[in-house]
Amino acid sequence: MKLTRRAFSSALTATLAGPALIGRAGAQGATIKIGMCAPVTGPAAESGRYAQIGAKIALDAVNKAGGVLGKQVELIIEDDQTTNPGIVLAFSKLAAQNDIVAFLGSIRSTQVHAMSPDVLKLAKPVMIGGTDPALTHMGNPWLFRFRPNDSYSGRVLADYGVNTLGKKNWAIVHSTDAFGTAGGKALADALGKIGANVALDQGYANQSQDFTPVVLAIKQSGADILGSYITFENDLGIFARQLRQLGVNIPYVGSPSIVNITALKLAGPALFGTFGVADYAEDSSDASKAFGKLYRDIAKIAPDNQSAWTYDAVNILCAAINKAGKTDPGAIREAILATKGFPGAEGEYNFDANGDGLHGYNVVRNEKGNVVFDKHIEQAD
Amino acid sequence: MDLALQLLFTGIGIGAVYALVALGFVLIFRATNVVNFAQGEFSMVAAFMMVVFAVDLDWPYWLSFIVSLIGMAILGAVFNLGVYYPLRNRSFLPVIIATIGASIFLANTVLALYGPQPQVLQGWFDTPGIQLGPVYLDSQYLLIIAVTIVLVVFQYWFFEHTLIGKKLQATSQDKEMASLLGIPVSMMIMLTFVYSALLGGIAGILVAPILFVSIQMGATIALKAFAATIIGGFGDVAGAIIGGLALGVIETFGAAYVSVPYKDGFAFLVLVAFLVFRPQGIFGERVAEKA
Repeated sequence: MKLTRRAFSSALTATLAGPALIGRAGAQGATIKIGMCAPVTGPAAESGRYAQIGAKIALDAVNKAGGVLGKQVELIIEDDQTTNPGIVLAFSKLAAQNDIVAFLGSIRSTQVHAMSPDVLKLAKPVMIGGTDPALTHMGNPWLFRFRPNDSYSGRVLADYGVNTLGKKNWAIVHSTDAFGTAGGKALADALGKIGANVALDQGYANQSQDFTPVVLAIKQSGADILGSYITFENDLGIFARQLRQLGVNIPYVGSPSIVNITALKLAGPALFGTFGVADYAEDSSDASKAFGKLYRDIAKIAPDNQSAWTYDAVNILCAAINKAGKTDPGAIREAILATKGFPGAEGEYNFDANGDGLHGYNVVRNEKGNVVFDKHIEQAD
Repeated sequence: MDLALQLLFTGIGIGAVYALVALGFVLIFRATNVVNFAQGEFSMVAAFMMVVFAVDLDWPYWLSFIVSLIGMAILGAVFNLGVYYPLRNRSFLPVIIATIGASIFLANTVLALYGPQPQVLQGWFDTPGIQLGPVYLDSQYLLIIAVTIVLVVFQYWFFEHTLIGKKLQATSQDKEMASLLGIPVSMMIMLTFVYSALLGGIAGILVAPILFVSIQMGATIALKAFAATIIGGFGDVAGAIIGGLALGVIETFGAAYVSVPYKDGFAFLVLVAFLVFRPQGIFGERVAEKA
């Protein structure tokens, strides 16, 4: 038999491409894939590990219950390096895999802003934990938030400080990234609306090694209460220690980072007696308690919002895909937005048209290192 | 006035850390004509060693300190043999790139061995600090300043009044001539790497109770220390000290009186000003001639 050039080329192409195509088809058919950008390295690597554990706990439960659309669910993780360029790269790597149906993005608003244009281009659902209110209000229909945004935290912080603690002269300290700037503004706006005074509105750059100028500015401002939006736990630890060393002992209410596990460990007694708004509080609901138990059994540490939001995101995303009955991005989007009354670890999810699932915060206090639930404040709008 | 005094103390404290790391930069630059960009990672590695010995193994603090320094001396020697020595006859560029590679390697090795979690390391003293009139003196900053003074005095005595110090100086000034005079140049360079690893390690251990122990701590310190080295004058010991202290004070006062978010900006503004108007730094020789 004579081997023609065309036959040889066809055979060679089939030999090279066949296994890849068969593998691809097999992979597409075998599992439902969810991509996750997580800080495996960089300053937030520790909290990134918590986020991965939270997502995997939910994933295991979903798979044990039969998976999604009759298939097992697989999590594909890419390191976002805790940087904006890092998450853009991580997301582009994940986006290149056509069989990934949806994604988990970052808890850091600045990173979500960085990846947002690519999310819009890809047009697939991305679950986020960043709390800058603008993220779900800037015309990107593919972002779905699994934490209450800072317009709520600002209002709850202001409400608690003014009405419960009775303090009306505030110092606000915030990082100058997207999260800190938006949070600081939300708090200042909320204080303005209820007639409180902002004596100091002080930004700082992330990864500061020394907060002496900030602490002295607070001292000089004459404020009788401090509110903060601090992004990184090591910054919070250094700030809290210097605050106490330099004799600032006014009541302190902070954004959720003030009660996360790493911050509690680093700051130690410097944060005793402080208050925080927390999207996750273990004693706030039955679902929160159930997640807390699962997480403690596996991670051997106390749960916090870093793990709770990814746990909820995977659960709700999987439920939404099941409800949609297909992996079409538009159908998944509609199903997520239709999610109402879902009891998550972070609270009851009622998605609005913007993609915000939660609309209130818990207030907690640090009692000698233990985070104690005080009350939940839900906002009507 | 009270505010200024408090800022001055803090600025000198943080500046002393930059100065210690900058000294390591200067010593290696003088001996080899290259910049060791892994100098900051020496600080990070030493701090993690302290966490392992003093926290995880619960050894006495002083013993952990000594064992960590021994570990740093070994690291300095290995660094010399593994990174500098194979490239010693090449131009400065491959060596600099190798030190950057070594820096990434060290950071990721610690990450792989210890994980990403920032760690808490207690200070040397139980008392966190003392209130002296209007100024709070953090005991760790006091220790840093004291150690810096002691090391500067020691270094002056060592280089000016000991034979081995003079051999090190001769090596840094002209390796060929030193070799002709019978000075074991390779051994002298090895000693320089060991000593600068010790300096970086001491800086890391001293600053760890303030900044916490993390993978990133080395890079943060090294960047400022590098700027301090340029401001002081590359290759000049006194310049590294003055540059480090000046940088610490300038950024602290700049943050307090002008803008907190641009704190790092002040440090690098001064750096740029020096590079433009006095590239040889306060005390140094002309950088162009060295390069």
